[in-house]
Amino acid sequence: MTLFRLCIAITCILATCAVLVGALWAQYGLGEFPCPLCIIQRMGMMLAALGPAWLLCRAARGPVDAHDFAQCYACSILAALVGGTVSGRQVLIHIAPGDPGYGAPILGLHLYTWAFIVFVVVVAVSAVQMLVLPKRAESHRVGVGARLSVALLGAIIAVNAVAVFVESGFHWFLPDNPTSNRLIDELRGAPPTTDEASNP
Amino acid sequence: MDALIFLLILATLVAMWRGKRRLAGMLFAVALVAVVLLFRHHATDTLPISL
Repeated sequence: MTLFRLCIAITCILATCAVLVGALWAQYGLGEFPCPLCIIQRMGMMLAALGPAWLLCRAARGPVDAHDFAQCYACSILAALVGGTVSGRQVLIHIAPGDPGYGAPILGLHLYTWAFIVFVVVVAVSAVQMLVLPKRAESHRVGVGARLSVALLGAIIAVNAVAVFVESGFHWFLPDNPTSNRLIDELRGAPPTTDEASNP
Repeated sequence: MDALIFLLILATLVAMWRGKRRLAGMLFAVALVAVVLLFRHHATDTLPISL
C-alpha cells in the first residue's frame, strides 16, 4: 500500500470523524437534540468510514491488493448510498417554501444538507479510488497515525452509542422531535415528554 | 434500538481491527440492513412535493 493511498484512507476517516464531532458539538454545545433521521445519517457516515478503516486494518496485517481496495471502498459506497438516501429525504421534507427546517443552520446550511454533501463526496472519492486500483499487492508500514485514526473512529462510535442511549432512555425508538434526554428524565422521575407529530 | 446499532457498528470495527474478515463483512451487512430497516420505520411522513 503506497503512502499516498494510506494518506487518502486516513484523510477519509479523519474527515468523517470531524463531521461526527461537529454533530456532537451541535448536540451538546448548541443544545440541539438530534432527530431519528439525524442519528441514522450518523450511522451512515460511520459505516462509510468503516471502508477505509478496514483497508488500514488489512494493510496493518500484510500486503493489500486490488480486491481488498475494491471491497473496502464498495462498502463505503453502499453505506454512503443509504446515508445519502436518508439525508436526501430529510432535505425533501423541508424543501417546501416557508419551511424553517429542522434545527439551526450551520454555515448557511442545515446539518442534513451538509450530510448529503458529505455522502456525495464519499461516493466520489471512493469511485476515484476504485478507478486507480493497484495492479499488484502493495505493502506499507501502517504507523501510529493510521492506528490512532481508527481508534478515534471507534471512540466516536462509542460516544454516540452512549449519547443516543441517554437521549432515548429505555425506549426502542426515538421520538420524531426529541426535546429532552429521556434517560435523565426517567431517572429523575420527571413526566415523559409527548412526541410532537411534526416531521423531524 | 439506535444504541444497539451503534454497538453493532462498533463490533464491526473491532472485528476489522482483529482481522476477522468474514465476521467483519457479515456484521457490516447486518448493520447496513438494520440502518435501512430503522429508516423504514421512521420514514412515515408524506413528502411535501409533487413529482
